[in-house]
Amino acid sequence: MNGLFPIYRREMLSLWVTPLAWILLCIFLLLQGAIFYSIVAHFSRLVDLSLDSGPVQAYFGQESIFLLLTLLLLSPALTMRLFAEERRSGTIEPLLTAPVTPVAVVLGKYLSTLSTYLMMWSPTLLYIIILRKTGAVDWGVVASSYLGIFGVGAAYLAVGTLMSAMSKSQLISLMLTVLVIFGMFVLGVGEYIFDAGLLHSICAHVSVLSQMEEFSKGVVDLRRLVFDVSLAAFCLFLTVRVVDSWRWS
Amino acid sequence: MIRVEQLSKDYGGLIALRDVSFEVGRGEIAGFVGPNGAGKTTALRIIAGFIGATSGKVTVDGHDIASEPLEVRRRIGYMPEAAPLYPEMRVMEYLSFRAALKRVPRRRQVSAVSRAMQQAGVEDVAPVVIAHLSKGYRQRVGLADALVASPPLLILDEPTAGLDPNQIREVRRLIRELGKEHTVFLSTHILSEVESICDRAIVIDRGRIVAEGTLRDLQARRGAVEMELLVVDRGGRSAKLVENSPGVETIEVEALGENRLRLRVRSTDKTSPDALMESLVRILVENQVGVRGATCLKARLEDVFSELTRAETTEAGPGGAQDWSKPAG
Repeated sequence: MNGLFPIYRREMLSLWVTPLAWILLCIFLLLQGAIFYSIVAHFSRLVDLSLDSGPVQAYFGQESIFLLLTLLLLSPALTMRLFAEERRSGTIEPLLTAPVTPVAVVLGKYLSTLSTYLMMWSPTLLYIIILRKTGAVDWGVVASSYLGIFGVGAAYLAVGTLMSAMSKSQLISLMLTVLVIFGMFVLGVGEYIFDAGLLHSICAHVSVLSQMEEFSKGVVDLRRLVFDVSLAAFCLFLTVRVVDSWRWS
Repeated sequence: MIRVEQLSKDYGGLIALRDVSFEVGRGEIAGFVGPNGAGKTTALRIIAGFIGATSGKVTVDGHDIASEPLEVRRRIGYMPEAAPLYPEMRVMEYLSFRAALKRVPRRRQVSAVSRAMQQAGVEDVAPVVIAHLSKGYRQRVGLADALVASPPLLILDEPTAGLDPNQIREVRRLIRELGKEHTVFLSTHILSEVESICDRAIVIDRGRIVAEGTLRDLQARRGAVEMELLVVDRGGRSAKLVENSPGVETIEVEALGENRLRLRVRSTDKTSPDALMESLVRILVENQVGVRGATCLKARLEDVFSELTRAETTEAGPGGAQDWSKPAG
């Protein structure tokens, strides 16, 4: 694991001293703010409120399609430069000839995007605090919702890390990531198309929509997290193999 | 320090290196010379651990690059061609990052970075963002990076490429300075660079080592010896006298006016140019020809180089590599 921390620190610095992270943060917060505002506005017009459906549940659950669509763009944009840029500019050469292992390089880079992702989400906690001022908030639901968001992000960012290693072009790695993530998203929608059966079970299992719906109700299904984590681990493992393979290209 | 045995690299059909073997001794400044595309960068990248070899064995300081890659990389300060750097970082940030990456202990990092900056002469740009630096400064930041962990071996790929004459002189002086403490292995296609920096040269052409040895050895490999004699000759006999002397192959005469002549003598006898010159001067003086000057035209490495690489094109088959430091057989 030697070199993981310096690489992590450098990636964080590069992300935040360049405009990229700030632009993404702005777009992300604008979109989330708009989504959250319209959800709260919608609920404020309702007279009868049932207990298991409130703005928080709607935001992370029933209406999570909006949130997931922003992730569809956000996560590839965070990861696209990781390897593509280093290979294009040649800085990959001093990096890989330093006494570091490919595992440390991949993990350092991946963890930097994961922390940035979490940093982007952190201002949304304000929404909850604002809600708390006007009504009751189920903190258990909040915690499980963010856990769900973390799981989805961990998987998406790992896909993006792998795709960044697949191409020297940031644009191509971005598009590849969008393709894969969107594919998984569409596969999840299959849950509503196929009748009960093998296809239905597969689609239900990978569906991020169902995942967020469950987590937003406070139902933490370990299988969902295991799926996210194993998808992330598999992608990162492949990334390490890809980085190794550059020695032989 | 570096031992390369039968190294080959095949880029799927394009053979960049064929059975390359050489050694670089501890404390040496060795130059890896060859025309563009000869395989210099490929060989350096393999030694530095950036790419793998198709076959062959490389050890650095006794450690095999295939089985102990991290041990090897810890001993090498490698500056890739054109010294790629992260443009968004400040020089000091970048060097601190590199020091941490190269496992310089935390408490020594600050001193290691400032020492490397001072050695490479980039102290004055320490707080500058790399994107704003000139090519010369970037090259030197790359050099500072190679130095930051004070590795015993420096591998520099074309360290003076793209610099202006003043910067080239500065970098060469710096490398000679570094050669006192480190083993230096650098590549270049500029021969005067090898002449001015290196103790020993390894000449590579089309993936094969064509010559290896100290600069004197290489110069002695020249096809012919040339010397120039300035004479005052009233009788007009000097040309005939020189031409009939043993060891002289051809002679060119150039009249400079007032009985002064310049005689350009070419000899194929390379073993003792000094003796030949002495005997020519003696013959001329004994025959009342006034000798005003005598110079042995130094075999320039450029000539040796073009002769060596040209010879390789006509020579078919493998086994082109000859160890020039030994008497030619």
